[in-house]
Amino acid sequence: MRSVYLLTLRQLSGKWRLGIMAVLAAMPVIISVIMLHEATADPVTDFEEVVLGAMLAGSIAPLVVLAIAAAAFGNEVEDRTLANLTISPVPRWRIALPKLLATITIAGPFIALSAFFSAHVGFIVDWQATIAVTVSAIVGVAMYASLFVWLGLVSTQAIGVGLLYIVLWEGFFAGFVSGARMLSIRYYAIALMHAMDPRRFAELDHVSGTTAVIVAAVVIVGFLALSVRRLRMMDVP
Amino acid sequence: MNATIRSSGDTVMREASGAAAAPVIRVQNVSRWFGSVVAVSDVTFDITPGITGLLGPNGAGKTTLLRMMTGLADVSTGRVTVFGEPVRDNPPLYRRIGVMSEHETVYGFMKGREFVTMMGRLRGVPELEEAVDRAIALVDLEDAQYRPMQTYSRGMRQRMRLAATLVHEPDVLILDEPLNGADPRQRLHFKHLLETLKEQGKTIVISSHILEEVEQLADTVLLIVNGKLAASGGFRAIRAALDQRPYHVRIVSDAPRRLAAAVVKLASVDAVHVDPDGALVVLSRNVGDLQLELPRLAQAEKIGLRRVEPLDDSLESVFGYLVDA
Amino acid sequence: MTGTVFDIGYQSYSGVREGRGRARRAVFKDGLRAALGLGRGAKAKILPWFFFFVLSAIATVMAIVAGAADRLGGAGTAEKMHLPSHSDYYGIASIIMFVFAAVVGPELLCRDKRDGVINLYLVRPLTGSDYIVSRWAAFMVVMSTAAWLPQVILFLGLCGGDPNPATYFAAHWMDIPRFLLAGLAMAAYTTTLALLTASFTSRRAYASVFLVGLFVITTPFTVGLAQEVAGTAGQWISMFNLTNIPVHVNDFIFGDVSEVTKDAPARQLAPWIRVAWYFAWTLVPGAVLWWRYRRLSA
Repeated sequence: MRSVYLLTLRQLSGKWRLGIMAVLAAMPVIISVIMLHEATADPVTDFEEVVLGAMLAGSIAPLVVLAIAAAAFGNEVEDRTLANLTISPVPRWRIALPKLLATITIAGPFIALSAFFSAHVGFIVDWQATIAVTVSAIVGVAMYASLFVWLGLVSTQAIGVGLLYIVLWEGFFAGFVSGARMLSIRYYAIALMHAMDPRRFAELDHVSGTTAVIVAAVVIVGFLALSVRRLRMMDVP
Repeated sequence: MNATIRSSGDTVMREASGAAAAPVIRVQNVSRWFGSVVAVSDVTFDITPGITGLLGPNGAGKTTLLRMMTGLADVSTGRVTVFGEPVRDNPPLYRRIGVMSEHETVYGFMKGREFVTMMGRLRGVPELEEAVDRAIALVDLEDAQYRPMQTYSRGMRQRMRLAATLVHEPDVLILDEPLNGADPRQRLHFKHLLETLKEQGKTIVISSHILEEVEQLADTVLLIVNGKLAASGGFRAIRAALDQRPYHVRIVSDAPRRLAAAVVKLASVDAVHVDPDGALVVLSRNVGDLQLELPRLAQAEKIGLRRVEPLDDSLESVFGYLVDA
Repeated sequence: MTGTVFDIGYQSYSGVREGRGRARRAVFKDGLRAALGLGRGAKAKILPWFFFFVLSAIATVMAIVAGAADRLGGAGTAEKMHLPSHSDYYGIASIIMFVFAAVVGPELLCRDKRDGVINLYLVRPLTGSDYIVSRWAAFMVVMSTAAWLPQVILFLGLCGGDPNPATYFAAHWMDIPRFLLAGLAMAAYTTTLALLTASFTSRRAYASVFLVGLFVITTPFTVGLAQEVAGTAGQWISMFNLTNIPVHVNDFIFGDVSEVTKDAPARQLAPWIRVAWYFAWTLVPGAVLWWRYRRLSA
């Protein structure tokens, strides 16, 4: 398992990629600093809506995770090197799990640090809120990663479909149709954040913390299981 | 050596008799189709220890067949077993199988030695360092092993991939077009290598569309044409059997019995049947001569020829393929 | 020992060869087919046609809603209610058009880069700039269709939905050249940026994600920042909202404000500045794109 994990880490980290991710991760932090500086009225909802909701959860996190996760298996399938891994006497989950973990290892820290510092600055050193934001960001990354790793294994158009999901489904429809929100990862990540710090977020509309945790676990484990199944059933190029 | 040849309908069989070691790979009634395209059609054979060559024109279904034998692809119908166990969805079996696919892509950023080491680790090789040393020595790449593989020439990449396939010392080796782009010296080296492995009792399957390669390397040959198994057995025996096997040519004419009487005198003709519907079926082992003699004869006898057609279509192509080379 | 080379009679083509124009048209046509997934199996068609469907669906919904309003409240109700109309369409659909360009655009350039076939093209009487101009033109056609088709549907829907189509047409026929022009502006902008990004990489995936990231991320970034920073600085920060740049042009053409740009501080800048800004963001990337390919030779 370690071999696949290390291999994937090497495959997914390139100077350009890491550089761009660092820049993207820095953006919410910069905005938070500036917002603090200007200190206008109604900080919480504004900050949460724009910085956390739209930027971090809505665009930066899913896009960064998509780019990394879809490549985890996608590159192997495209380059036809996947057979190297499948023609080995290891159970399939020992191929899928390290791929997922490597994806989270690469995308996670950037998003987590971004969330941590944005919240730290934006909420002016309120540790509970900051931890709530950071933890839910990491959980969100794990959920997106599991989904997109599976997508990269299953489809050659993974990026296109992933982009449609992020922009159209989570961005567009989930905003208008409340039922669609139930099928949106972003919603549960944010719900988790609310649940972890009810003092600040209690008045906002969300599903309970327990539900969010359960859904997160189901999503992460579920898509991992689907990836394992796909590895067993597919024709490896 | 014995040979079996199949043709459409007709079965001229000389059963392979005599001792064969227990079959290592069994392919039973395997077919594979993609939508409406049939890639492999009802193929059955056994593979025993030694070197077996999978021969056939491009697009005949060799790669699909190999992928099914390695469990990389699923069968549409039929069974494939290796050492008695189904090969599909059976990871532990891969400890004993080594596969080299036709795709040449490698992890370019890795050094050659790292690649072989990683493959060894994945396959649970004990005493990894020594095994990697042995494998790399076997393919004669000690000098280049610490360089990234994207700096290798094509031949070097193939050899390093071969080292990675051998590092866990598998009992079964399945190689798809392993000599793609290999120069004569590498070919020779490869031949020695395979013979060494054969002496160790391994089972080796090589696929190729190049006649000379297979001729030099393989003891047994499986000939795949259009997804079907057209011939199997010792190479020389197939050749001989083909020579001895007469061809059926169907002739529709104005005066079948008179033509039959005249045709039987030709040197190129072995035998003549007259079908109930009035067509002649001529058995000939020298179709080339027959093609020249028949029209002359018909003209001399003033008999009109309506149709002249060979009945062994699939074998025609086999014949042509083997002999043209 | 001598050797001989035999002429076994391979015929070289000695007839008329069509020239550069034909080559350019061929590259154009191929680009068109690549973008729409024609001749590439069913899967390749899903994404582009899905986008056409979504864009048209939005226009259809707008037409239906306006038609319903008019039927219930009498002619002109839709306008009085300020329901979204032609001038608002591009504001609403802009993000979808950007994603469309991001996902489909790289098909035209990245494949050739990856497979190394550009050199093969250049052996023909085709220059590097011919190649990129033809590809650009092909994608421009696709994006223009994507921009115009929904507006045409909307117009027909509004016209037909109106109790008196003829008067509606007489009153609103000016909308047609307006949305044609605005659509062209939107198409040129998205085409140029998408192709420029695609020209930097041979993996379609990276180009797509980078483009979408660029659009989707700069939007809340600039919006949030512009709200906090007042004055001219804030206005110019708002100008860097890449999704709004062509929409400002749209506003200018229609002389109207769309929902999307209503609150943007950039609106406080004079119209000519915003239009010039658009041209900067289309012509400069276009020039870079052209320059990148121009110096290629076989």
